[in-house]
Amino acid sequence: MIEFTDLTKRYGKFTAVEHLTLHVPAQGAVALWGVNGAGKTTVIKCLIGLLRYAGRITVDGCDVQRQGRAARQRIGYVPQELAFYKEMTTYDMAEFYARLKGAPAARIEPVLEQVGLSEHQDKPVGALSGGMKQRLALGLALLADPPVLVMDEPTSNLDTAARSQLLQLLVQVKQAGKTILFTSHRIEEIEALADEVAVMERGRLQFRCPAAELAPRLGLRTQVKFILPGHQLEQALAVLQREGLAARRNGVGVIVEVAPGEKARPIHTLRRADIEVSDFEVE
Amino acid sequence: MMELGARCVVKRQMSKHASLVAKMLLLLIVAALTLPLHVAASGQVTSQAVAATTQCGHVSLQAMIDDATPGDTVVVPAGTWQAPLHIDKPLTLEGQAWPVIQGDGSGDVIRISAPDVTVRGLVVRGSGISLDREDAAIRSSGANTVIENNRIEDALFGVYLEQAPDSIVRGNTIHGMELPISRRGDGLKIFYSPRTLIENNVMRDTRDALLWYSPYSIVRGNDFATGRYGLHMMQSDHHLIESNIFRNNSVGVYVMYGTGFELRRNLLADNRGPSGYGVGLKEASDVLLEGNRIVNNRAGVYSDSSPLQPETAVTYHNNLFAYNEIGLEMLPNTQRNRFQDNIFLDNGEQVNVYGGGDLTHNAWAVDGRGNYWSDYAGFDANADAIGDLPYTSKSLFDNLAGSHPELRLFHLSPASDALDLAAKAFPIFAPQPRMSDPAPLMQPPALPDTPGLTPPPTAINLAAAAAMVMLALSILAAGTRRRRRQRHTLSAQAA
Amino acid sequence: MTAKVIWALAQKELRDALHNRWFLLYTLAFIGLALALSYMSLAGAGIAGFAGFGRTAASLINLVLLIIPLMALTIGAQSLAHEQEQGTLAYLLAQPVTRVEVFAGKYLGLALSLLASLGLGFGIAGVVLALANGAGSPAAYVSLVGRTFLLSLTMLSVGFLVSAFTKRAGVAIGIGLFLWLAFVFLGDLGLMGTAITLRLPVEQLLWLSLLNPLQVFKMAAILDINATLDLLGPAGIYAMQEYGAQLRGLFLMLTVAWIVAPALAAYVRFHIRGDL
Repeated sequence: MIEFTDLTKRYGKFTAVEHLTLHVPAQGAVALWGVNGAGKTTVIKCLIGLLRYAGRITVDGCDVQRQGRAARQRIGYVPQELAFYKEMTTYDMAEFYARLKGAPAARIEPVLEQVGLSEHQDKPVGALSGGMKQRLALGLALLADPPVLVMDEPTSNLDTAARSQLLQLLVQVKQAGKTILFTSHRIEEIEALADEVAVMERGRLQFRCPAAELAPRLGLRTQVKFILPGHQLEQALAVLQREGLAARRNGVGVIVEVAPGEKARPIHTLRRADIEVSDFEVE
Repeated sequence: MMELGARCVVKRQMSKHASLVAKMLLLLIVAALTLPLHVAASGQVTSQAVAATTQCGHVSLQAMIDDATPGDTVVVPAGTWQAPLHIDKPLTLEGQAWPVIQGDGSGDVIRISAPDVTVRGLVVRGSGISLDREDAAIRSSGANTVIENNRIEDALFGVYLEQAPDSIVRGNTIHGMELPISRRGDGLKIFYSPRTLIENNVMRDTRDALLWYSPYSIVRGNDFATGRYGLHMMQSDHHLIESNIFRNNSVGVYVMYGTGFELRRNLLADNRGPSGYGVGLKEASDVLLEGNRIVNNRAGVYSDSSPLQPETAVTYHNNLFAYNEIGLEMLPNTQRNRFQDNIFLDNGEQVNVYGGGDLTHNAWAVDGRGNYWSDYAGFDANADAIGDLPYTSKSLFDNLAGSHPELRLFHLSPASDALDLAAKAFPIFAPQPRMSDPAPLMQPPALPDTPGLTPPPTAINLAAAAAMVMLALSILAAGTRRRRRQRHTLSAQAA
Repeated sequence: MTAKVIWALAQKELRDALHNRWFLLYTLAFIGLALALSYMSLAGAGIAGFAGFGRTAASLINLVLLIIPLMALTIGAQSLAHEQEQGTLAYLLAQPVTRVEVFAGKYLGLALSLLASLGLGFGIAGVVLALANGAGSPAAYVSLVGRTFLLSLTMLSVGFLVSAFTKRAGVAIGIGLFLWLAFVFLGDLGLMGTAITLRLPVEQLLWLSLLNPLQVFKMAAILDINATLDLLGPAGIYAMQEYGAQLRGLFLMLTVAWIVAPALAAYVRFHIRGDL
């Protein structure tokens, strides 16, 4: 569905993306993984026609640079943060973009319903919460029912609750058969949504792998912070380290680094040692 | 053309009996004539005139004139009569139902060389076009000529009085030829004909109405437009110019070299062109302008070396100078002008000194009473209706433009306003005043009426303005229009 | 290029104009000043017993020369730069629209909002003038409005050009204000100084001043109202003698050039620009 062939983008002497070749199959979901500055966003900008580049990108056979409108007609784009016209109401904004996309006005209501904004359609967009805005962005992207959904860090600015709400929606969208390409640096997001991950580093594609293999291949570890009673801190450190976990003290708590699938292990360890865990945070 | 047929009638001063017999005879002849003449009328102009005169026993209108006795009235019936005509004895030539005296396109159409001739009710057309010969529709060199209620068309010169003193030109309409201004003749030329009365005439598309060496002539109630000089007086003294309209000429009234002019209650409007003036005064002495409305000319009054004669003045009293590019344009040599009770209203430049200099040797107020200036910024603390500060004309831009006329190109530009503002803020740049009215009026004085004041087309203007507002509103409405949506039903259900 | 998309964008610009403080401020100022001028000229018409439209028109020309370029330059300069700063431009271009459509839609919308603003200002002042019998020839008034609209388009195009080369609305407006100063004051003052010191021949002075679209507007408006340019002194008389009947065509050509050339340059820049 989406083909990147030898994509290169330079800003002056700086090379943002170099010789990227990538295929996103129809109804597939590919995540672009990488740290900030790896070139993920540049790839997305090239794909939606905001940047000129060397190489070739096609969407459903339409060349992005030569048939930009046709290519973009097949794409619903969800930006990292929706830039909006403050004065417009949710409905007006949806109506405006529906007209640009050539989507029938009758689509507006169901789509707003789908993303849970029916009650908010007369609110100015500026008054929506961050989560609502991102759901609106998703709704706008789905207005013309395009086959492809392209997202740039869709959940990065959201709190936990909003994030999971949006992820839930995205899973539904994926199940409805959309082709998805998105950038992320959140392992849960990738595990929830992507079939495949393309890992980028300094503008180059390093490797591709199934989403489930990403964490182990990268040796990724999650930091879990436990809040413990002060007098048990030393004991806890000792117990955890005896179990072979990388633990260190941090203020009123203990930080433990674990592999993504093992976040519960330190809790069990501490329980066995009769240390009460009052709270913990995953970072 | 000739519905009733031609009747050639000569009113002679004869015995009552003879007169009656003659009239009956003529009526019979006329009755007999009517039928064949209808036929003739549809034919050529020439044949008809000939037919008429043949039946009357004359060869032409000229023959009738020749045949008439001094003092007769020759009645000219409707129809087209061949000219040129020459009237060499005192006669009245009177048209009925506008007969056309058609010139042959060369020389004069009607020439009068005797005194006491009256020409009335004719359409006179088709003079020659020679400026050297000064071909005219009606030319007279006889005293006491009366030219009255005629329609003069397609003529190089309209009425030309040449040594015809004490004549009257009244109620005529004079249309010139459609020629470039340099090839046109004068609609009226009054030459060495003193004491002529020019009254209630309408003149269009000619060169000038010219009074030359014709002192004590009066010009009253005329409407002279679209010519070069509406009225042009040269070397001619003692004239009253009253209640006329001079409009859309190059110059409304031009007074050159003379003494004793009264211009009262005239309308001088829209006279434009490179040297467009409402009134031009050149070496004119003892002039009074009173109650004139001088509106929307390039320059309202242009004054050069006037008054010329010592001991005389040019007096401006109770005139309106409004909306002219320059209200009053004077050469710096202009002195002994007196101004009182005039209104200077929104002229682009109220007073200008042509070529720079000042106008301080004139009386801008008389007997402690000056003029009304729409841009006067003073005050009247003692409430005597006279401003407590003098009105001075000093604009830096106007001064600059006086010495560098090409800078007028920037007239109406914000940059020229900025210059004046700067001059006010930083007095170091402030120019010397060119004139000063020591007793400016706080309120405009009342003006007498002049002819030619017409209200603007209010309904059309209103419609145009309303259309603009509607256009604006519909654009805004189109911009904020929403597509129809089924929201209302939905929210109703929700409720 | 589809008309539907352009119209959708134009409508949004129109709606935005109604929410734009600058735009509302200018419109209100314009209406207010036009009314004040009309009122002043009416006072005069009462004295004269004459419609003072010539003079009203002259003051209106002056007012138009001050306010309209300011208005058109600032909203033109904001147009692209403001949206880019907000990030909405990138999102807009990610939609299935082309850059021609975005540019044309914005231009059309802003041009229409300028027309609406002018219509209100001139229309309301015109109603007042007409009701008080102070107006003159309706044809002259309508043509003044038309010419004012063309003038606003020239400045709108220049504003777009500024906008296409800047990324921040604040910078764009700053440049716009400077250009306004240049068009309205600095250019003319400089030319006056040059004319005096170098003793420029009138034809050179005329042509140099015709480089300024504001001067072109002024001359064309004066020509409409007075039928001659002799108000403008020797240079105006020279223009009448040299070009006569062709002047109107010349003015129109210069105005259209000032509308098209900057708009085209702005579009080209907008089209090839990548870093959005």
